[in-house]
Amino acid sequence: MKRKVNVNRPEISSEEIAGKKDFDSVIKQFKGSGKPFFKKPFFLSSLVAVTVAVVTSVVLLQNHNQPKPVSDQPMVETDANLLADFYKKEQSKPCVHPPLKGINVEYTVFKVDAQKGGALEFKTGSKLIIPKNAFSDKNGNLLKGEIELRYREFHDAVDFFVSGIPMTYDSAGVKYQFESAGMMEMLAYQNGEPIKMATGKSINVEMASNYKGNEYNLYNLDTLHNNWSCLGKDKVANDMKDEAKADRMQRNEKPLTKQQKRIVDSTSNYITKIVVEKEKKINELLVSNRVPVKPKQSQKTKYTFNISVDQKEFQELAIYKGVLFEVGDENKNFNSSLYDITWDDASLKVGTKKGENYLLTLKKGLKKYEFVVYPVYEGKDFETAKSDYDYLLSRYNEELEIRKQQEKQIEEGYKQMVAFAKKQQEDQVRQWKEQEANQFKQMDNQEKAIRMFTVSGFGIYNLDCAKSYPQGALSNAKLVNEKNVPLLCYEIYLVDKARNGLFTYYKNPVSAFSYNPESTNILWTVENGVMYWLKPEQFNEMKSTSGEMVVKMNRVGEKFTSVEGLKDYFKL
Amino acid sequence: MYLFSKFELYIKIAVNIMIESSKYHQTETELSKEYGRIEAAKKNPELFKPIYDKYFEAIFRFSYRRLDDKEQAMDITQQVFLIALNNLSKYEYRGVPFSSWLFRIASNELNDVFRKEKEKRTVNIDTVSVHDIMDEIQETRIELYHDKIVTIIAEQLEEDELQLIEMRFFEKRSFKQIGEILDITENNAKVKTYRILDKLRKVI
Repeated sequence: MKRKVNVNRPEISSEEIAGKKDFDSVIKQFKGSGKPFFKKPFFLSSLVAVTVAVVTSVVLLQNHNQPKPVSDQPMVETDANLLADFYKKEQSKPCVHPPLKGINVEYTVFKVDAQKGGALEFKTGSKLIIPKNAFSDKNGNLLKGEIELRYREFHDAVDFFVSGIPMTYDSAGVKYQFESAGMMEMLAYQNGEPIKMATGKSINVEMASNYKGNEYNLYNLDTLHNNWSCLGKDKVANDMKDEAKADRMQRNEKPLTKQQKRIVDSTSNYITKIVVEKEKKINELLVSNRVPVKPKQSQKTKYTFNISVDQKEFQELAIYKGVLFEVGDENKNFNSSLYDITWDDASLKVGTKKGENYLLTLKKGLKKYEFVVYPVYEGKDFETAKSDYDYLLSRYNEELEIRKQQEKQIEEGYKQMVAFAKKQQEDQVRQWKEQEANQFKQMDNQEKAIRMFTVSGFGIYNLDCAKSYPQGALSNAKLVNEKNVPLLCYEIYLVDKARNGLFTYYKNPVSAFSYNPESTNILWTVENGVMYWLKPEQFNEMKSTSGEMVVKMNRVGEKFTSVEGLKDYFKL
Repeated sequence: MYLFSKFELYIKIAVNIMIESSKYHQTETELSKEYGRIEAAKKNPELFKPIYDKYFEAIFRFSYRRLDDKEQAMDITQQVFLIALNNLSKYEYRGVPFSSWLFRIASNELNDVFRKEKEKRTVNIDTVSVHDIMDEIQETRIELYHDKIVTIIAEQLEEDELQLIEMRFFEKRSFKQIGEILDITENNAKVKTYRILDKLRKVI
């Protein structure tokens, strides 16, 4: 059989369908179907019912005078009654019922001249275009003078939650959950009295949205019947599909932003500083531990001078006692006659081989002689110096060993610091890249768009698409507090971070509680004004089962004073 | 008075047991009320009106999705309720919504119409649902394969396959509900649907 295909055929409104209902015709046909009355199902079932009633009456009459059995049933019934009363009370709440006292999305109040109209801009970038003479009183009379327009928008799960606006859509008996591209409420007042939009007038709304897909419809909340009415499609401006893709490609190739680069550079500078500091510390260790100079014994064949030196200036010569300065072989012109001169002045400075030889300058009148000399020791002084050297060398070796250990420790310590800093830097960069990747992934949905639609009445409007509950794990969930006491709550909210909605379940335990285990989820509810929640990581511990699953909720101890506070708490 | 209350209580307990053993997204109160109405309608057909009012739109939309003619969809919808009323005494409460029974009647009626009256079977496809299917088969090249998917769904799927895709993606029904309407298990509905998706994935 060949099929006919319609793509995106317009939906028929509920009103049109309702207009075609004709129950009388069904009943007429049913009655005229010609069966004798005793063969009609209702006659047979009535007969059975009467028979059962008679039999039951007889049985119960027989038992009437017997004492009532004692059982737990009345207690159970009382609890059930209390629960039923609670649910009844919850169900009778107004269509819009904010669940938390004192926290709600604030209105922005605009003043409009009724006769002139005007263009208003909301803080999110949304615009309202109000025509001239757009307001009337309840009797339809056009209004003049100043009008107070109250406007607010709802863009995420917390906004939806605090507002108490239902996110459930009943379409022909089938319940859907809304995923939203943005929702707004617009009300108008004059002198404190609510007013209407004049007949034939409408306000153009250009709502800033994070979602630019075309799957969304415009809905208006019918607070009287507690359901949404579909008004059709909106128009989306800034549909930057191709531009967005090009931008995405560019952004993929782009290096880090200036701010990111600054953070990376500061980490690199920190690492360099650490390395310099480490080297300084190691150098300090080396300076404080010098290798001792080995004393040399004087040679009998060579000439020596006994000179008194400034021990402060030549500390290395102060280590051993009885130092003499032996004339080196390089002094070819030295002869023994120089010994007989009484010199006017003698001075010593570091020689050509530092720590090994010195330059001795001798002066007599205008005559000046310079010799390379070597520190030496003789006799007992040499023995003592040698012994001192052995001692100093062994101490030096011990200290060297300690220093090596210290150096190793310093190296290790700084190595860890550098590794830690580098890891932090890498993690940060990776996190940026991941965030960027996620942004690219969600770009189609999350690019800013202007969604345009027209409203001909005040109230709550939603740009939504009706979806089913998240699928994946499925179970009956019984929510309990920290003492394992079941929570007395009616509305239970599931937030799936990948979807911009507030999935609402009713009654605890929740039958057929489903969520997407692949997504980041948060569950929360309110019991007597106190919030309880299940953290995203706790979803991983939940096990899908066909039986009942006990979900231990965390009490939210914090008192919130703003919607933003709530968003921060839930990291939304 | 006392005897009547007691009798009512027995019925109530019996109903509760059945409701608790079933799993679907109607509330217990709604099911309980619905059950009461059906029982009442068995005795007095005039009391079938709340059921008619409740499900008229759903049955109409179900029929119209598979037809091209609005008026014919209306006729079939009326016919479904007439058949339901005629067979109400045979209806047994099995812990599933009454609507599943109505959908099944509607499905049979539509098949009769396609067979006897050679009425053209219509497939109404919306772009968003096609995107959902693409998501499900993890195909991101929507522009490339959108039309191909539409063609496959419209022309190549067997009728039973088409029904599953329609119910799951175009009507956003749960597998449980699909199972109830097609009189198969939830698991079977799921397996069959994923087989079709596999088939789609392979074809494209």
